[in-house]
Amino acid sequence: MIRGQARGLAGDFGILEIMEGYMGGGADILVIDDDRDLVNSIRIILESRNYSVRTAFNGKEGFERIQEKVPDLIVLDVMMSTDTEGFDLAYRLSNNPDYRNIPIVMTTGFPQKMAEEGPERFQHILGEGWPVSQFLEKPVDPEDLLATVDALLREAGKG
Amino acid sequence: MRIGYELIREQLFFRKELRERVSWFIKLRWAAIAFGLAGCWTTYLLGQTLPLLPLNLVFLGIAAYNGVFLLVGRKLESFKPHEVGPFQVFAHAQITLDLLALYLVIYFTGGTASPLLIFVIFHIILAGILLSPLSCYLYGVLVIILLGVLVAVQELALLPRQGIVILGPPYPYGGGTLGAVILLMTMAGAVMVSAFLVTTLKVSLRSKGRELLSVSKELESTNAKLTALYSMVKEMGSRSELQELMDCATRQAARIMGVKACSIKLLDERRQSLRFASTYGLSEDYLSKGGVDIEKSPINKKIVEGHPYVIGRIDEKDYFQYPEDILKEGIASLLCLPLKAEKMILGVFCVYSDETYRFTEDDIEFFSLMTDLTAIAIERLSTEKTKSWFMMKAAHQLRSPLNALYSMLRLLGGGYLGPLDERQKEVLKRCELRVKGLGSLINDLLRVGQGRMDFARMEPHPVDAGAVLAPLMSAYQSQALEKGLEMAFEIQDSLPKVLADERLLDELVTNLVSNAIKYTPRGGKVRVALTAGERDWVRLEVSDTGIGISEQDLPRLFSEFFRGEDAKAFEEQGTGLGLVIVKEILDTLGGTIQVRSKKGQGTTFSCLLPAARPS
Repeated sequence: MIRGQARGLAGDFGILEIMEGYMGGGADILVIDDDRDLVNSIRIILESRNYSVRTAFNGKEGFERIQEKVPDLIVLDVMMSTDTEGFDLAYRLSNNPDYRNIPIVMTTGFPQKMAEEGPERFQHILGEGWPVSQFLEKPVDPEDLLATVDALLREAGKG
Repeated sequence: MRIGYELIREQLFFRKELRERVSWFIKLRWAAIAFGLAGCWTTYLLGQTLPLLPLNLVFLGIAAYNGVFLLVGRKLESFKPHEVGPFQVFAHAQITLDLLALYLVIYFTGGTASPLLIFVIFHIILAGILLSPLSCYLYGVLVIILLGVLVAVQELALLPRQGIVILGPPYPYGGGTLGAVILLMTMAGAVMVSAFLVTTLKVSLRSKGRELLSVSKELESTNAKLTALYSMVKEMGSRSELQELMDCATRQAARIMGVKACSIKLLDERRQSLRFASTYGLSEDYLSKGGVDIEKSPINKKIVEGHPYVIGRIDEKDYFQYPEDILKEGIASLLCLPLKAEKMILGVFCVYSDETYRFTEDDIEFFSLMTDLTAIAIERLSTEKTKSWFMMKAAHQLRSPLNALYSMLRLLGGGYLGPLDERQKEVLKRCELRVKGLGSLINDLLRVGQGRMDFARMEPHPVDAGAVLAPLMSAYQSQALEKGLEMAFEIQDSLPKVLADERLLDELVTNLVSNAIKYTPRGGKVRVALTAGERDWVRLEVSDTGIGISEQDLPRLFSEFFRGEDAKAFEEQGTGLGLVIVKEILDTLGGTIQVRSKKGQGTTFSCLLPAARPS
C-alpha cells in the first residue's frame, strides 16, 4: 500500500518507477512448469530481483492465473504432461487480444534441432511462426534467465 | 473373338512383312538376271549352240521391267505405306511377268527339255509366301496351263524348237507325245504339291506369329504393370511421413489398377474398428462415415482375419454395413485385401470400380503383390516413427530431473539461498559440472542411437559443401573468439558437389570443429579447409594447434566413450562419443578419415567425401 501511495506521489516525475525499473521490482511474473523444483528455483531467482512471482503447474492452471490477473511476463515450459502443452497455451494466448502482448519466455529441454524433427504437431506449429518472444534452453542458467527477463520487460516498457 | 484393335495390329504386322518381301524379290531378280546371263554366255563360250540373241533380249526385258518395279516400289513406299492393296497388286504383277519371262527362257533353252523347267516351282513358292492360299493354287493352275501350252506348241510344231543340242534324247521318257504328257502330269503334280506345302507352312507360321504377338502383348502389359509397381514402391520409400506415404499408395494404386477409387483403412488401437486413413477418388459424403465397426461388417471381419475379398456386384448379397452409400458413390464392384505386415494385420486396402465384375484372378494376384509391398512400407515407417519418438521421449524423461538438479545447484552456488564459504562453493561447482556432463552424455548417447536409425534412411544427393558449412563457420568464429582462438575457413574454387546429406555434413563438421576448439588453448588456431581430392573425392580438413594426441591414443580414438588422458587433463568435460558419431557419418556416406597429430603441437583430421559425379 505504501508502495502504491509512493507511486501516486512520484507518478508525475516517474522517479519511483525508474528506480523500480532499475531494480526490476514490481513486475508480476507468472511461471508455469510441471516440475515443482524447477518452478521453485526460478521463483527464488526472480524474487531475488524483486519481481513478484506467481506459479502454476500446468496449462489449465496457468490460464486461470492469467485470467485472474494479467501478468507482465510469463515463463513457460514447452513440454508438460502432454508433448505440446506449453505451445498450446502460447497459441491460445496469441489468439486472445487481451493476452496477445504478454512477453513469453519459453524454456525447453529440447535443443531446437530435435524440436524440428519431432512429431507432425511440432512441424505444424513451427511452420506458423513462434508465438513466443524468446527461447531458453534448459538447464536454465540464473544469469541468462534474469538477463532475458529484464530485457523483455524493458522492451515491453514495464521493467 | 478378338477385339478390333488386336486384329488391326496383327494386320499391320503382316502388311509390313509383305512390303519387305516384295522389295526383297526385286533384289533377288537382279541376281537371277545376272546368273541367267552368265549361264547363257558360259554355255555359249563352251562351244554349245543356243539362241543367244533371243535369250539376251529376254533377260534385258526382265531387267527393264525389274527397273520399273524398283521405281514403282519406291513410289509406293513413299505414298501409300499403310494400305496393303497396292502391294498385293504389285506382287501379282511381279509373279505374272516373271512366269511369262521364265517360260520364254524355257522355250529358248529347249522347251520341255530345258533344264530350267523346274524353276516354275519358284513362282509357286513365291506366290505362296506373298499372297493368299487361293492365289497360290491359282498360280499353280496357271503354271500347269502354260506348261500345257508349251507342250502343245512343241508337239504341234507351231514354233521352231530352240535350245541346247548338248543334251541327249529330248524326252527323258522315250519318244513322242506320251513322253510330253507324262512330263506334264509329273510337273503338274510337283507344282500342286509345292503349292500345298508352301501354303500349309505359311498358315502354320502365321498362326504361330499370332500366338507370339499375343504372348508378347501379355508380356508387355505385365512388364508395364511391374514397372509401375516398382516406381510406386520407390515413391513410397521416399516418403518419410506416414500420411504422405498412404496418400501416395492410394493414388498410385488407383492409377495402376485403372480404377475409379482406392482406400486404405487402418485398424485402431483396440483393433475393433477400421478408420479411413487415406482415400483417392471417394467423395466427402462417403468418407464422412468415419469408420467401420468390424463386428457389424462381416466382410471387413473376414478381411481382417486375413482373407481377400472380391465382390463382383455390390448389390448381389447382403455384404455391407452401408450398401446404399456404396451404390450411391457409383461403385459397382470392389476388391479388398488385408494389409499384412510381418505378424499382424494393419488394416484393409481396397480398390473400387464403377464396372461390375471388373476384377479377375490376375488382378487379384497383382493387387495382392501391391498390397504386401504397401503394408511393408507402412509398417516400416510406423515402427521407425515409434522408435524415434520413443527415443526423444526417453531423452526428455532423462533430462527433466537433471535440469531440476542443475537449477537447484545453481541456486545454491549462485548465493541465492544465502552466502557460502569457499569449500561449499567448490563442491557445488563440482556438482554442477557432473550434472552438466551427465546431460551431455545423454544427448550424445541419444544422438548415436537416433543417428543409427536416421543414417539408415538417409539418401545421399549432390550437396554444395561450402554453402552448407559457411553459416556454421560464422557461429564457430564467435565461439573461437571467446576462447581467444583464431579461426580460418578456406574453400577451394569450383569445388565439386559432395554426395551427402546436409544434416549429416553439418553434424560431421560440428563435431570436428567443436573438438578442435575445445582442445586448443588460448592463442591457438583452428583451420577448416575444403579442397578437391584426387579424382572423385572432396577433402575436408579440420586442423588445430592444440594439445595433440599421443601415439598410444591414436588407435583407440574412434572407440566409444574413449578419451585420451591428455584430453581429460586439459578439459574435464567430454563424453567420448563425438568421434564415434563422426566415424558413423563417414561410414554412411562412404567416406574415410585420417588423423595426423603430434602431442603438444596440434592435430589434423582429414576426411575424404565422395564427390557427386556431374549428371
